[in-house]
Amino acid sequence: MQSLPRPAGSIIRLTRALRHPRSIRILARNARPASPSSARLASSSNIIPSSRHLYRDSSSTPARNYSSAAAHQSRTLGETSTAPPPVSEPGLEGWETVIGLEIHAQIRTDHKLFSASRTSFEEEPNTNVVPFDAGFPGTLPVLNRQAVDLTVSTALALNCTINPRSTFDRKHYFYHDIPASYQITQHYNPIATEGKIELSPDLDPTLDRDVTVRIQQIQIEQDTAKTTKLADGSTHIDLNRAGMGLMEIVTEADMRSPKEAGAFIRKLQALLRRIKASDGDMEKGSMRVDANVSIHRTGTPFGTRCEIKNLNSVRFMMAALDNERRRHLKHYLDKPDVPLRQETRGFDEAKGETFTLRTKEEAEDYRYMPDGNLGPIVILPGYLESIRRSLPELPDDVRRRLPEQYGVSLADTEVLLSMDDVEGSGVAYFEEVVGNDQSRDGKQAVNWIVNELLGRLARKNEIWTWDRVPPQTLSSLLALVETGEMTGTAAKNLLKHLLEQATITADTDIKLLATQMGLVAAGDSGADTLAELCRAVIEKLPAEAESVRKGKEKVVMRLVGQVMKDSKGTADAKKAREVLLSMLVGEASS
Amino acid sequence: MKSTRPILNVARASSTKPSPFTWVHPGEGIEARVTEVTDQRLKGKRIAIKDNFMLRGTRTTCSSRMLQEFESPYTATSVKSLLSSAASITGKTQMDEFGMGSMTNNLPPGSPPVHNPWNLDAAVEGKDEVQVRSAGGSSGGSAAAVKGGQAWAALGTDTGGSVRLPASYCGLVGLKPSHGMISRHGVVSYADTLDCVGILTSEVDDARLLFDIMSHPDSMDPSCASAEVRHRAEGVEHEARHSMKGLRDGRLDGVRIGIPIETCLEKDLTPLDLAPFIRHLRSLGATIVPISIPSIRLALPAYYVLACAEASSNLARFGGGWYGGQQSGLKEPDGSVDRRQWTRRWGFGPEVKKRILAGTYALTAGAFNNSYLKALQLRQRLRSDLDAIFRSSQPQDLDDVTEAPSRGVDVYMHLTAIQTAPILDSTSSTSQDARGYAQDLLTVPASLGGLPCISLPIGLGADGWPVGASLTGQWGSESVLMDIAKIGMANYNSSVE
Repeated sequence: MQSLPRPAGSIIRLTRALRHPRSIRILARNARPASPSSARLASSSNIIPSSRHLYRDSSSTPARNYSSAAAHQSRTLGETSTAPPPVSEPGLEGWETVIGLEIHAQIRTDHKLFSASRTSFEEEPNTNVVPFDAGFPGTLPVLNRQAVDLTVSTALALNCTINPRSTFDRKHYFYHDIPASYQITQHYNPIATEGKIELSPDLDPTLDRDVTVRIQQIQIEQDTAKTTKLADGSTHIDLNRAGMGLMEIVTEADMRSPKEAGAFIRKLQALLRRIKASDGDMEKGSMRVDANVSIHRTGTPFGTRCEIKNLNSVRFMMAALDNERRRHLKHYLDKPDVPLRQETRGFDEAKGETFTLRTKEEAEDYRYMPDGNLGPIVILPGYLESIRRSLPELPDDVRRRLPEQYGVSLADTEVLLSMDDVEGSGVAYFEEVVGNDQSRDGKQAVNWIVNELLGRLARKNEIWTWDRVPPQTLSSLLALVETGEMTGTAAKNLLKHLLEQATITADTDIKLLATQMGLVAAGDSGADTLAELCRAVIEKLPAEAESVRKGKEKVVMRLVGQVMKDSKGTADAKKAREVLLSMLVGEASS
Repeated sequence: MKSTRPILNVARASSTKPSPFTWVHPGEGIEARVTEVTDQRLKGKRIAIKDNFMLRGTRTTCSSRMLQEFESPYTATSVKSLLSSAASITGKTQMDEFGMGSMTNNLPPGSPPVHNPWNLDAAVEGKDEVQVRSAGGSSGGSAAAVKGGQAWAALGTDTGGSVRLPASYCGLVGLKPSHGMISRHGVVSYADTLDCVGILTSEVDDARLLFDIMSHPDSMDPSCASAEVRHRAEGVEHEARHSMKGLRDGRLDGVRIGIPIETCLEKDLTPLDLAPFIRHLRSLGATIVPISIPSIRLALPAYYVLACAEASSNLARFGGGWYGGQQSGLKEPDGSVDRRQWTRRWGFGPEVKKRILAGTYALTAGAFNNSYLKALQLRQRLRSDLDAIFRSSQPQDLDDVTEAPSRGVDVYMHLTAIQTAPILDSTSSTSQDARGYAQDLLTVPASLGGLPCISLPIGLGADGWPVGASLTGQWGSESVLMDIAKIGMANYNSSVE
């Protein structure tokens, strides 16, 4: 880790928090119990479960993630880092790194892949187990169609070719985490092949170049039991995880740095969450990554490949990859005549170093065999089309569309995306505020959501929910500002009031409320009123008025401030300035 | 052929004296306590089940030391179906360990092989030198229980002849249905793509009744035919019946019966001349057609490879420690690897070990292409050959509906066995010599093809012991197959005896 080149700490922390906040992962899991069936949720994007949290208090998560300051800084970052030339990595000049990944993501289904056991997480060990899960004789696998649906969704989102007829095979090995002594997987005919994920600095400012990471294949398989080794040397096995559905996603070796591997995983995680195929949570083990890495001198053939198993966070994966390639580099430099041994390695998170698990000579023969019980998964065109139609808009499509359609920045789009990466309700909220006919200005709307709404909530240590300030309410508020019936300052005060009142519904009449509170603009309709206010202020602050008369125009802002104060913010500051200047100087300078 | 022998019809289980049973219900049999009774079709019928069927409240041992103390945690779908028709389960029967064998002599150490009850009358009458013969295997216990009168009918399993061979040796009707007709949920797997729940009875009608009760879709068995496939099979069968006009009148007019030349073996492998039965069928109006199944010999090695490979996979689960309990009185080693090795070495008998090793080898990376994969291809070739001889088309295939030959047959027929029941004290094992190979020629093709096959007791060999004939039909044609079997048998036995 220490050898990774790092930009200024605060920026990297903020970008990481925005792209990959811990809070979002908590959100993703919370969303599940609130929604009995993800299939139903998929068809009703308007239904937003009330438990949807933007973030939650957590020691490692600053509650300021969504403050306006954070949004602002990330925006600055987005604007300044436009596609710099490829960064040469310290110590690796003249060498090229080649990385391929193998991802296991738990499929988000109600029950296990081949049995009726409920899928569960961190429950009492061995409570969600039926005889099949424990490899009891006489039991047979019954395929969970929901797992197929979600895998096909993923495959489509990854631009894969869907195999019209895929089959299940058995992979044999004796180990305590696999009660039947074989794992049902798709070795010979996987469900999908030949997909891709595009990475671009345009959409991800941390990247140096455009990368197309090709997906070799996606297969459906069973998860193993969870093994826990205790300090006393005993091994404990939890079958709750045994037989949960996994998607194995295998990439081609298309990544050239740990950074690109990290960007790929984050993109995949966001995609899996958005289509509700997986929680994609590496820390919790619902997503696990094996990484292949080799290095070679630029222009020479690829070097020896080593695989690092079971990486459980993006950060650790990047650290492990960097450590491993530097181990290769040291080997090639110190012992150029000795070939590097092909190995399977683990990663010691405490030491930040990889270590040998097994060498190639010890490689196991898995005796793959077609499963005699399960028939092929036959995918018909009509089914494929229905899955395709049910796919939500994917994050990268949002990143392209929002700036183009509304002129909002990529950084603000990221904030909207990260408000809810499962249902995409942040983006939906924004579009609801803007309105179908785009009656509100997009930039204005996003500023209010990101800076005013989220910023204020963050200061109050509160979570965002769809109904906290219904989009119709915010939209009405913005309408009053746009027509000039209300000043921005007054609108902000009203929003503040609304957040404290906490009794707003979509039916709340904002204009009526604003009028009752005396927050309606003193502008247009009350030109005389504004003039009176200005005249009073000039009398109240004679010294400042005199300075303005003598040509110190900047001092007029002090007078404007007093007008705003006296009008409780209802006055239009711009108009007040004009009126004051015309009174004092005789003409309005623009 | 009397079906009950009052003096012996009290079932007993014993581990030292020969008995068809591993366990006998202490009362009148397990009534329907695991499921709701929906009809009375099997009211008062005592049915024995092979010891590889799960029945809650009993052990399921597969006649293996490995599962000696294994309590069934649930009940097999097929057994549930019997119970819901008010059957009494009278006991569980001995078998060759995990279904591997043909004489029910691959048993836990010390257990005597099951005796064929055919000549028990003679034994009771105190005749000298009573021959002790095998009941066949692997469902020998089930056959012996029915022939011995302790059960009205019995369930067996048939992977490569394990129901048909005992039926032939014991003079019973043995039905191996189409693969996927009766749910395998709750039946301990030997080789999934070959295993079938089979039925042993005295009469064809009894087999038909049991088949009708157990043949239905099952959501717990993905290989069990869906309602849709069954419906298609019925359609195909309905069509076929148009050509078999005699069936309505208890005759065989319009029925085409094939005799594969490959199954006509030399004299010492032919315990009974099939000709009188063929003449009988012809007298009922059947057309007898000589046919050929060219790939039948090639396909035999495929059977061994596939069955052993699947067995090595299915039996890999044993010894993992999740069930079966500690073996009482024995000290197991610590450590999961040591314990697994020890348990498997101790728990499996020699025949099972042999097949696991053979199957493991067939699946290793070095051998796979030339063994397992080749076996799959040969099996496919045999299936095409079999499809080509039938008049009806295979109802399972939707994608490639091939036009069935109009001159095809409705069933094909040959002897079930190359011999009458073998004498038990003889040391030679049938499966090891050329005779075993010839035997497999008669039973294995229907298994590889997944086709329904019924063995009928059509007479006695020169030694006075029973011999069976097998009729095999297109997939899903059990109803027609049993019609033909019943009509063929109707007046035949009496005419011989």
